[in-house]
Amino acid sequence: MSNTLRPYLNAVRQTLKAAMCLENFSSQVAERHNKPEVETGTSKEVLLNPVIISRNDKERVLIETSVNSLRVSIAIKQADEIERILAHKFTRFLTQRAESFVILRRKPIEGYDISFLITNSHAEQMYKHKLVDFIIQFMEEVDKEISEMKLSLNARARIVSESYLSQFN
Amino acid sequence: MAFRKIDIDALEEDALGQDELDFQEIGEPRPPHEVEDEVNSRSQEVRFLLQRGNAAGALSSALNNPPYGRHLEAAKARNTQTVMEVLNSIKVADVAQLVKNLTFEEQDVLMKYLYAGMAAPEQNNSGVLLAWHEKVIDTNPNSRASLDLSGRLSEIAGPGCIIRVITDRRTV
Amino acid sequence: MILLDYHNRIIEDTLKARFNPENKPKPVDMSIVDFDGVSYHLSTLDDQDTKLNLSIRWKCWPELVQYGAMDVLKREYNQWIVTPESGYDFTLQFDLENIGADPEDVIHKVSLLKRNAMAAPFERAFDAQAMAEQEDHWDPTSSQLMTIHYRDGEAIYVQNQQDRVTVIFSTLFKEETDRVFAKVFLQEFVDARKKPHLQNAPQVIYSHREPPLEIRHVPGLLDSESMGYITFVLFPRNYAAGAVREETISRIQIFRDYLHYHIKCSKAYMHSRMRARVSDFLKVLNRAKPEIQASEKKLASGRAFRRA
Repeated sequence: MSNTLRPYLNAVRQTLKAAMCLENFSSQVAERHNKPEVETGTSKEVLLNPVIISRNDKERVLIETSVNSLRVSIAIKQADEIERILAHKFTRFLTQRAESFVILRRKPIEGYDISFLITNSHAEQMYKHKLVDFIIQFMEEVDKEISEMKLSLNARARIVSESYLSQFN
Repeated sequence: MAFRKIDIDALEEDALGQDELDFQEIGEPRPPHEVEDEVNSRSQEVRFLLQRGNAAGALSSALNNPPYGRHLEAAKARNTQTVMEVLNSIKVADVAQLVKNLTFEEQDVLMKYLYAGMAAPEQNNSGVLLAWHEKVIDTNPNSRASLDLSGRLSEIAGPGCIIRVITDRRTV
Repeated sequence: MILLDYHNRIIEDTLKARFNPENKPKPVDMSIVDFDGVSYHLSTLDDQDTKLNLSIRWKCWPELVQYGAMDVLKREYNQWIVTPESGYDFTLQFDLENIGADPEDVIHKVSLLKRNAMAAPFERAFDAQAMAEQEDHWDPTSSQLMTIHYRDGEAIYVQNQQDRVTVIFSTLFKEETDRVFAKVFLQEFVDARKKPHLQNAPQVIYSHREPPLEIRHVPGLLDSESMGYITFVLFPRNYAAGAVREETISRIQIFRDYLHYHIKCSKAYMHSRMRARVSDFLKVLNRAKPEIQASEKKLASGRAFRRA
């Protein structure tokens, strides 16, 4: 399994790099509005083809691009009930802090666990390659964090049960 | 658009519709049965080449003249399947060399199929596709600019071909 | 702190201060709570600061009395029992000028009031089993299923059989997270017994939603995803008379609180981890922001230039 992680993250990195070509673009529908086109979806000609990069049927990334914005949605690995709960808690925790994570979308796209929305102004104010780094690092660490939390839960459960039952001796 | 019940732009005659966008890039839509016949015969041809051990031939003929445009879902799915068969049957060690020998257009089409394949992880082995993806991008990312004397691509495609996948309306 | 105490710490500390002859008696009126919805009321009489009342109120009191709680309480607290204060189920009264026994002992005993009240059904089951074991032909109908509805929606079932006593907890996991975590914990309880040094521990069986056979006929069991049933199978070696028995009773009683306490602890731990991780992520993201150089601009005259 782990031998597909590197090519997976690489593919995401390359695709993000390619997709991060954003420019300022005023709405064609409403005058003096300037909205992320990928969200409004009102002008077909400025939307590009969405692509999906998958590692297996549970882990995948959807990258939707438009002329002035880019939406990255990540489905996190959830092998069992515990991982599902932990992933859910974790993403909820993040989205509630979306204010400080400027590129975080408050609500994930359906079918995914977490979404980022990068607009042209983000790309102008921040280093694009560092933004890509952030998303890649996020993907790496989220998996790690969830499996570590799961391990610690199991370890705690073992200690708790043993120390309770060993009193009976 | 929340407060508007009617999409007035759709009623406007000048509005740019999906058909028009397709037409600009793809041209006159072809009748589905004709495309399907073509795809089916190609599938057989590719299988024949694979049996003969001609991986390079199978790859380039699978990537040749893919079905574009809407209303061709069946043909597209069939062709994607053909390409996947080829990709799965090629040994990892040979991938880099094969990709190198493809033309510009073939590399771009290959990239499109790689993304199309990854979009359906239940049916396709994402691991194989990721390995191909890596090989296509690999080595020298700025390689597109460097053509050798014969006008052939000297290195492998680079990130430019991802951009072409994202922007090209001729989806597979 | 991995294991929980059996006694009530607040009662212990308060009584220690009150029973100390160096402290002058003064009026007190305290409400104290304990696990499982128990509330205590500790007060002095209106006119006498030296008379101290401790009352307990518990939802399942009538059931406990039915299973012989009064006998146990009389054995433990006989000389202090008075008529229950209104609104409470049971009251003890102490005369601070004449405690009547070693204060240390009394304090310890009193702080175990809840535990002792709950001990009655267990003692009864253990005794019944000991009797049954001596009979050649055991009549299965003599096994009694004692039910203590000690919390809202949760109960303890104690049943004596010929060679063992079964204790079943029904417990409610209000959140899905609790339920999933509990599964992990209880699985460990089930597995832990396979370890060689825990062979003597009682067998633990966990079932989720589905009530175990022993109590399946009991009416009014809540059929819900959030219900869990934990069965302890106790053999005579687990409750040999004396200290072992007392310990086992205390320990079994505290089980539900122990489990839930650790589930909450795990959640808190996860929470603090996520907090740390999120601030890490924030740092990574902030690295993407170019640092604005606050270079000071100078005017030709040499004075610093600041934009208004």
